[in-house]
Amino acid sequence: MFIRTHINKNTFRDSAYLMRLSSLVRGLEGVAGAEVVVGTDHNKKFLQAGGLWTEELAAAGTNDLIIVVRAFDLGVAEAGVKRVLDDLSRTADRGSHTGEYVPRSFETAIKQLPGANLALISLPGRYVKREADKILDAGLHLMIFSDNISLEDEVALKMKAVEKGLLVMGPDCGTAIISGVPLAFANEVHRGGIGIVAASGTGLQEVSTQIHSLGEGVSHCIGTGGRDIKAAVGGMMMLQGIKALQADPDTKVIVLVSKPPEPMVADKILAAAKECGKPVVACFIGGNPAKISAAGCIPAATLKEAAQIAVAVLRDKNIDPSGPVPAAAKEIIEAAKQKIGSGQCYLRALYSGGTLAYETMAILRDALSTVYSNLAMEGGAVLADVYRSRGHTVIDFGEDEFTQGRLHPMIDPTLRNQRLVAEAGDPETAVILFDLVLGYNAHPDPAGETARAVALAKEKAAAEGREIEFIASVCGTDSDPQGRGSQVAKLTEAGVTILASNADAALFVRELLRGEGV
Amino acid sequence: MDKIGELLRQEPKVINMGLEDFALNLKKKGAAVIHVRWSPPALGNDDLLSLLNKLK
Repeated sequence: MFIRTHINKNTFRDSAYLMRLSSLVRGLEGVAGAEVVVGTDHNKKFLQAGGLWTEELAAAGTNDLIIVVRAFDLGVAEAGVKRVLDDLSRTADRGSHTGEYVPRSFETAIKQLPGANLALISLPGRYVKREADKILDAGLHLMIFSDNISLEDEVALKMKAVEKGLLVMGPDCGTAIISGVPLAFANEVHRGGIGIVAASGTGLQEVSTQIHSLGEGVSHCIGTGGRDIKAAVGGMMMLQGIKALQADPDTKVIVLVSKPPEPMVADKILAAAKECGKPVVACFIGGNPAKISAAGCIPAATLKEAAQIAVAVLRDKNIDPSGPVPAAAKEIIEAAKQKIGSGQCYLRALYSGGTLAYETMAILRDALSTVYSNLAMEGGAVLADVYRSRGHTVIDFGEDEFTQGRLHPMIDPTLRNQRLVAEAGDPETAVILFDLVLGYNAHPDPAGETARAVALAKEKAAAEGREIEFIASVCGTDSDPQGRGSQVAKLTEAGVTILASNADAALFVRELLRGEGV
Repeated sequence: MDKIGELLRQEPKVINMGLEDFALNLKKKGAAVIHVRWSPPALGNDDLLSLLNKLK
């Protein structure tokens, strides 16, 4: 096997383009592996783990592109590198990867789109503040998809926005829907009377898609970024969002979604909710519902329940959330228990959606022994090495440590799926739980990619005489570009048990593993 | 002036910087969008960048 590498100094391309380029070279005849990635430490580790590492790549920095091609023939490896270099040079002089001319600065863009009112930024984190300041100074609202931005910069940007009466959705805001227009990772959902403000991207997606599946729709979905509810930020954008939905005539019911805000911030948010004059459903995942009820809002324990309650309130019906585990599931749980061998005790939950991972931890923490994670939660334990599971483990692959110089796992599930196969080699793994998040800008066929990983994982476990139970939920709608129905069918065919929501999947696991691994 | 209310009453007109797919998908949905082909200022040199930020 031959490896050819190249470092392209000071070259910037967006990560989605790099992913497609890597995949194009991987598809060439005789190529056994190929990556075109930014030279971050994380990507270097990834190349080492994937057998695509050579020592000269250590010289690459975060402004450089690394090209690696592994092939059965030296000529093929060299041709693969050349193919990448040709494409990089072909696209260097053009404005766009599609060949259209596009402006190279915000200042030129705003002249070309008079009346522009919102900027969507997905640049590497360290460059965001500079651009964001210009955008706010020009009077535009802002959605910051990027992460790896300091808390100090977030506070400064949001203070400026409040002063100017603008919205700053993010940093690390994955999802928003404004007047039916889906921004970044949003799903195709009905329009309707429920407005959402969320400090949680996949939380927003789960609630909006569940509302859609219940036959209702959303007016606007405003994301704030997960740190908005920290004391330092003080819920600035949550409060702006509530105020905006309060004034919006299309919004009849408001849903708030977040991890439990810091107490001082929760007080402010709930006070604003109480005064807004519209029914407010609050899902502070894993938080105490008493404070929410005391403020005259309706608490929801899970994202699915938030959708159910909002729909019931909108329809002026009694609230009737579904029970913890559907009766029909009991039989499947019993069948799954028979499959799992006596030494297999642990859950390995591998998420692309951070809030979904968090919701799972909230559901499992009282029922299972210690749950290790790269997400912080009261009652949970920190996973010392995110690349190695321990006991019951829940990992969010969207956290900063996995996304530096790489695409979010909802666009590129490679890392998550590699881990899925690796977990099958651990004799203590009993259940692998995962999510698929569909919608605009997510991977075009995550179920197809993941089904292949599940097949490999099953083979690996079977070779060692074990069976593993695979459980998943699919967040999306049939109107999404990927189509929820066909994605569910692919996973079902691969032998994955699919539940109707993430909460259902976590409750299913809780029943399945109750008493195990203690 | 209630700028957020104005945004919710109208449709967003978007300037996109970063992942070009975000702009392409907005365009497919019929939204008004313009993509900026951004590249790092100061050739990505951190020292130069911090100097530029101070000069701003």
